Amino acid sequence: MAELSEAMVQDLIRAEAKKALQTGEVSCVIGWTATRFEDRTKPYFAQTPEECDMLIWNRYCINGTAKFALDDRYPDKKFGIIARGCDTRAINRMIHDKQLKRENLYIIGVVCDGKENPVCRQCAHKTPLVCDVMIGEPVQDVIPESRFQEIEAFEKLSPDERYAYWAKQYDKCIHCYACRNACPACNCIECYADQYRVGWQGKAADREQNQIYGLTRAYHVGDRCIECGECERVCPMHLPIMRQTRKMLKDINDLFGPYECGLSEEETTALGEFKTADPDEFM
Amino acid sequence: MARIGVFICHCGTNIASVVDVEKVAQAAKSMPGVAFATDYKYMCSEPGQAMIKQAIEEHHLDRIVIGSCSPRMHELTFRKMLKATNVNPYMLEIANLREQCAWVHTDRAKATEKAINLVRMSVAKVGNNKPLHTSMIPITKKALVIGGGIAGIQAALDIADCGFDVTIVEKEPSIGGHMVMLDKTFPTMDCSACISTPKMVDAGAHPNITLKTYCEVESVSGYIGNFEVTIKEKTKFVNHDLCTGCGLCQTKCPTKVISEFNQGMSKRPAIYIPFAQAVPSKPVIDENACLKLTKDKCGICEKICPLGAINYKDEVRYTKEQFGAIVVATGYELADWKKMYPEYGGGRYEDVITGLQFERLVNASGPTEGHIVRPSDGKEPKDVVIVKCVGSRDPKKGKSYCSRACCMYSAKHAHQILDKIPGSRVYIFYMDVRTPGKGYEEFYDNTRRDGAQYIRGRVSKIYKEDDKLIVKGEDSLLGRPVTVEADMVILATAMEPAPKIEEVVQKLGISMDKDKWIQEAHPKLRPVETQSAGIFLCGTCQGPKDIPDTVAQASAAAAKVAAILCHDEMETSPMISSVDQTKCSGCGFCVPTCPYKAISLVEVPGRDGNRKVTKKVAQVNEGLCQGCGCCNAACRTGCIDLKGFTNDQILKEVDALCL
Repeated sequence: MAELSEAMVQDLIRAEAKKALQTGEVSCVIGWTATRFEDRTKPYFAQTPEECDMLIWNRYCINGTAKFALDDRYPDKKFGIIARGCDTRAINRMIHDKQLKRENLYIIGVVCDGKENPVCRQCAHKTPLVCDVMIGEPVQDVIPESRFQEIEAFEKLSPDERYAYWAKQYDKCIHCYACRNACPACNCIECYADQYRVGWQGKAADREQNQIYGLTRAYHVGDRCIECGECERVCPMHLPIMRQTRKMLKDINDLFGPYECGLSEEETTALGEFKTADPDEFM
Repeated sequence: MARIGVFICHCGTNIASVVDVEKVAQAAKSMPGVAFATDYKYMCSEPGQAMIKQAIEEHHLDRIVIGSCSPRMHELTFRKMLKATNVNPYMLEIANLREQCAWVHTDRAKATEKAINLVRMSVAKVGNNKPLHTSMIPITKKALVIGGGIAGIQAALDIADCGFDVTIVEKEPSIGGHMVMLDKTFPTMDCSACISTPKMVDAGAHPNITLKTYCEVESVSGYIGNFEVTIKEKTKFVNHDLCTGCGLCQTKCPTKVISEFNQGMSKRPAIYIPFAQAVPSKPVIDENACLKLTKDKCGICEKICPLGAINYKDEVRYTKEQFGAIVVATGYELADWKKMYPEYGGGRYEDVITGLQFERLVNASGPTEGHIVRPSDGKEPKDVVIVKCVGSRDPKKGKSYCSRACCMYSAKHAHQILDKIPGSRVYIFYMDVRTPGKGYEEFYDNTRRDGAQYIRGRVSKIYKEDDKLIVKGEDSLLGRPVTVEADMVILATAMEPAPKIEEVVQKLGISMDKDKWIQEAHPKLRPVETQSAGIFLCGTCQGPKDIPDTVAQASAAAAKVAAILCHDEMETSPMISSVDQTKCSGCGFCVPTCPYKAISLVEVPGRDGNRKVTKKVAQVNEGLCQGCGCCNAACRTGCIDLKGFTNDQILKEVDALCL
């Protein structure tokens, strides 16, 4: 089968979305629509078959679609989600975290060959990992060699240099929590950073509180990061946030062997299970 | 406002020699919330405790900090003391000034500064303590013993004699374990079977003991006082309710396979009672060997059984039972030396045998009716070499530990050979001779007097030349190589935990050490307890040991079990996790991190906007939780808190030190 053009994929997406809305199975289909800028798209919720013609597919469809499903954790009808590989990993993430139910989702999977988004260069799963219908020909999953290149280079710096680097970065942070809001792994009902507890996360945007927030966020995502890069994409201050979780993933890979998460809805995270047979040489 | 009392203990000179205790007490007086501070020679002593009580009354103290030894040592002592006062026993913090300060430092000024900091942290923490109260849970007055060796039997008998019901689960068709395989036991040379079979019969006949042979523990849930255990009954293919144990089936079975009981030195039929004195003395069918079950041929035993007890369609059965306490007595297995020591022939020479094989050889009920002969040709061996520490004390090839019983049973083997075979010679290669037991050294001396030749050194190679086994080693006392032409070689192989020990450990939620022996709660003070309350251990599952130690430990475990079962209900520790269910996201990450299976997700009514919904949130089982804190670390929302060690309390400690 010949490779589908962008326009053909767009037509197929619209057709599948229409079909799903016409049967009344889903309440809306989450995808992308055009903006007044040619190189920008925005998330779009098509709620009627007619609105499906507003859905588009091009190389600027970069927003993650999955996390919007969390807006209603107890839906009456299914959500339709147009999902690329990364979105399906996000879905798996949230199902595994027990925040979404698979039966509440209607997933229109689209094979994606990368968007105008730097993170796509490290994409290992272009084919949706879970879907109800699939658009496009599945392609082989390949973990790119460049996955940890940046981290390896960064690890060579001295601790002081690394601290100076992060101090500079976190001095820019404005505590807007955009990284958290976009992250599919940040799905707590009430984030620790939003809680009022004396001595916990301070709300001021100063170096100390910013760094505490950055560290805690990285550890909370930790072994559950699906490497979608949404955190870094949405950061208005351009902090290299992916570096933190990637570093943790690299360490996990080094210590426990090959590790990726969000590949299926039933998996165990590397750091999330107690086994009596776990090695404890450090004891 | 909190009124904190600080009491700094000298611990004789343990603390006072390194830490300026008066200065610490003086410094404590100015810490926030402290109403009273003093020091005393022995806080844990009667006058020390009386002084604390008096201070509580005089200064209206509502919480206490004691700067003393480790809380593992005396926290309970001081809690008990507080029970007799108005202060809640959990309004207490111990600053460890001994193990974590005085014992590890020499610089008096710096140690004193550190001690002040430790006290400051405890003062900050105790300010956030809340009164905690214990609760009571009912107890099922029944014990489970896993493993029917001498340890399991002894523990079961002792518990049963206290009047409690006991169930023994044994994976083999008969109880008895390894002890019943042995011939004579050192140092008294009692016949092993003669002293262990009466115990087996007692266990079988005891009105309070239920034997579940050919069974395994499938799963364990619940907690101290209320374990729910699923027991898997393997397929026996013989209805033991009908069978009288006449043994007719055994005599007619055409299949012959290697006998596990005789350590591979004889054959047994596919339908078999493992040994003559087995309890229960009823056969099972080995499904891997039986012609009827493997090839649907034969069927003789069914035809011949006068009672119709044979059932080829038997199925695995699962039963669920409640127990108040569990004793683990899963025992040991000999390490497979063949893989570890290819230079000893790796199993190619029939006349290189293990100590346990020799026990069967010399046993009157064994394959040779007690005649010591070579397995290869049935000749009587004249020159016998015993090699000790095969796999033990050899971290490169085997285990780093000492298997403890081998020195003595090797001496016993030498004695038996010299006794039974006139003109025989026994050479024992050893690293050290360890005889720490009553009458052991005397026994070893006697064996040497009998003529056993002890050669200090390891054996490097065993190979065959004609009829002889050539044993090459080193006499490290003389510093020269030794070669012995032997007729038979006995290897004192290392003990290792029973196979599948990992499974048992995982099912029970207890831990094991690096060698997979089950870990006791404290090597000295809690030797038969595990880290999980209500689960005890005895015998060689905890580490290599001989029969006297095993039996002593079994009775100790039984006493611990009886101490639980004699109560109708028990107090639980209030220092356990609690979930703030309003904040819980129900992600369930705490569930698999819990080593005690104490957390589960439950459905509770909740609200989402203006809708009423059913939410899933975490809930802690108060009986199961041991207060380890794993779930706290796993909870991203921070909605799990460990009472007595809340996140806020720890933050206060950190702040007291760092700010």
